[in-house]
Amino acid sequence: MKKERYLALCLLVIFLFTLVGCSKADKTDAGTSTKDSVVIAMDVESEPAAGFDPIMGWAAGEHTHDPLIQSTLLITKDDITIGYDLAKEYTISPDGLTWTFKIRSDVKFTDGVPLTAKDVAFTYNNAMKQATETDLSMLKSVEAIDDTTVVFHFNTPYSAFAYTAAVVGIVPEHAYNAATYGKNPIGSGRYILKQWDKGQQVILEANPNYYGEKAKMKKVSIVFMSEDASYAAAQGGQVDVAYTAPSYTVNPIKGYNILSFNTEDIRGLNLPTVPAGNKTPAKRNGETYPAGNNVTSHLAIRQAIACAIDRESIVKNVLNGYGSVAYSDSVNEPWENEAMKVAYDPAKAKAILEADGWKLNPEGIYEKQGLKAEFDLLYISSNSVRTGIAMAVKEMLKPVGIKVNPIGSSWDQIATLCYETPHVFGAGSHSPTGVRSHYYTGKNYASYSNPTVDTYIDEALAATSVEASYPLWKKAQWDGAAGVTPQADSPWVWLVEIKHIYFARENLNVIDKKIHPHGYGWTIINNVHQWSWK
Amino acid sequence: MNNTGSVTILQKYQRKRLNQRSQTLLVLAFGSIFLLAITVIGTLVGDIAITTNFTQKNFLPQIAHPFGTDWLGRDMLARTLKGMSISIYIGLFASVISAVIAAILGAAAATLGKKVDAVITWFIDLVMGIPHLLLLILISYAIGRGTFGVVVAVAISHWPVLTRIIRGEILQLKEANYIKIAGKLGQSKMKIVVKHMIPHVFPQFLVGLVLLFPHAILHEAALTFLGFGLPPEQPGIGIILSESMKYLSLGMWWLALFPGMVLMTTVLLFDLVGGSLRKMIDPHSAQE
Repeated sequence: MKKERYLALCLLVIFLFTLVGCSKADKTDAGTSTKDSVVIAMDVESEPAAGFDPIMGWAAGEHTHDPLIQSTLLITKDDITIGYDLAKEYTISPDGLTWTFKIRSDVKFTDGVPLTAKDVAFTYNNAMKQATETDLSMLKSVEAIDDTTVVFHFNTPYSAFAYTAAVVGIVPEHAYNAATYGKNPIGSGRYILKQWDKGQQVILEANPNYYGEKAKMKKVSIVFMSEDASYAAAQGGQVDVAYTAPSYTVNPIKGYNILSFNTEDIRGLNLPTVPAGNKTPAKRNGETYPAGNNVTSHLAIRQAIACAIDRESIVKNVLNGYGSVAYSDSVNEPWENEAMKVAYDPAKAKAILEADGWKLNPEGIYEKQGLKAEFDLLYISSNSVRTGIAMAVKEMLKPVGIKVNPIGSSWDQIATLCYETPHVFGAGSHSPTGVRSHYYTGKNYASYSNPTVDTYIDEALAATSVEASYPLWKKAQWDGAAGVTPQADSPWVWLVEIKHIYFARENLNVIDKKIHPHGYGWTIINNVHQWSWK
Repeated sequence: MNNTGSVTILQKYQRKRLNQRSQTLLVLAFGSIFLLAITVIGTLVGDIAITTNFTQKNFLPQIAHPFGTDWLGRDMLARTLKGMSISIYIGLFASVISAVIAAILGAAAATLGKKVDAVITWFIDLVMGIPHLLLLILISYAIGRGTFGVVVAVAISHWPVLTRIIRGEILQLKEANYIKIAGKLGQSKMKIVVKHMIPHVFPQFLVGLVLLFPHAILHEAALTFLGFGLPPEQPGIGIILSESMKYLSLGMWWLALFPGMVLMTTVLLFDLVGGSLRKMIDPHSAQE
């Protein structure tokens, strides 16, 4: 009798996972026959926790993209230069501390009320008070002079602000309620939020009164799924575009093409540069996290790691070719510094360690004064690419006598641990401020601090134009004597650029020209209004 | 019994075979050796279970890799054995703790008076009243998941059944004539417990302990499968199964089938071993 019960229990476990596997597949049965709607599967992290509220970081946080529901002052064009949306023109004062925007007067929110400079001022004045991923700390105040003129006052010059103004959506002052706006946003953008079933799907409808180009796709549904569910949904024909990961490309799906987009989405490791026992600078709410790592705080270890990893092999094996090698957080961008490049050379890695006094112990691991060259490496375990990279790094550092123990977790846990333990980070944006967030004192996951680098970053931000700032951003990385290159301080080791890949129906014309920044999600539909069915 | 002089017609043509007891012994031995082998091999496998080899991705089962390889080129046989041995260790640890808790609480309930009995019985009902998996998840989550979380959760949630049995046994024993007589003859309480009670309760305890095993192992696997147990870099059997799920839609059936079968075999074997042990120790059930 008891035996049957165990058997039943065993079967239950087996059924449980087959069931979970099936249940994910039967989501939203999309009417794909209609010719002006599209269903897109995005990863679960793309669902904005705080809703579609630009003040709370929608579209403008770590993963930047067009806010769609709201309009922005400026836009980034296909070639990542700056263009205009609400703004007709903008001028910067010679000291860089005052930016004046002239905005269009013909724009209305979807409730019929015209959008004025007051709404712009309201949006920014509120957004800078919030502790979101959107960095607006350089702003002092924003004021509306008249209905179409808005003036931004800065604490410090910040030439990269144009890129921020391209992602912060403008909310209506008269209809803004911090508690409800995220769920029921009113904007002036190309689309209107029709429905949001939290944890499942978002439905957008074209804004009939949009001032710009009319949308061809009238209805856009977005479903949030894990990697395997997304694949299964495409296999079952339930979605038109499904994000996927390289390991799923081995079995193509009939009726779907694999689309691969170039990105600015870089994977790399932060290597804490200070010994254990430190603390991060306090956040606005006073929170600090433990920081520092006794092994990676050794310069030789960081330099050795940089040249001991075979990036080509990661591209080939982990990414199945859907990627390219990367040596900096700004691959092919105007501010990338060539000096960030480093050759794959395990012998050199060993030589660097030995020159620093590390000795191989009988287990084949380097040791110095009783300290083993061994550290944990965090990765987000639900993400197959990051898992693969963590495993590959472990295998590649083993032959050079550095032991890596991969530790899988979720981002909410990693966010507090990654100041002491290296993590397989994703980074990259359309703006040079990535250099600042990775290397500026007090602001980075490697606890890195170098006054020379800080000076260049300050100078770059103080430049009177974005173009004039490029050489300074380059110098911040390497000025010929000091910097963050693998041969110098090496606080981050950048590994690969990952292509964003999707299964898309063969008869769907997907238009997406802008290079993707970090973040797999919403970038794909920046141009969804131009998509069409063949 | 058969070697008495007269042989009946029924006995004459009886097939030569092992008697019940020998059969039970054989099953017990076979089961134990098999489980021991899994544990030892799994422990000795070492790093192979977590070594990735990108030149051997997604291999079907073959001679070099009887269970195939996964999307990172890890050998599934090594992972399964490693995972199973981790599960067995956790099961062993958790069942021992559970059994010890059960012994202490059971004895306390039976001997320390009505109030203590009421409290302990209430706790038994409480723990048994909550759906077991839910309780496991709650405890593991509260303690912060990971190996520690799963061990504690499994260990402190499996005691009620055994506690009940031990409590019942002792209550029954207290009323037994030979215990009462021993008392009247002036034996000390300590001596009665050591000499007369423990030998009677111990077999129940031992069998209960072994039969906790399959429960503990399955629950550890389930908890890990649901993401509340072992960390994802550990080759736990629950991790292997939940990872394999992601690739089932790609048609990689071997990732789930073999580890699942090994888990099932292990659990059934433990049950078999426990059942055999009971037959050996408890004369009443020996010929069932």
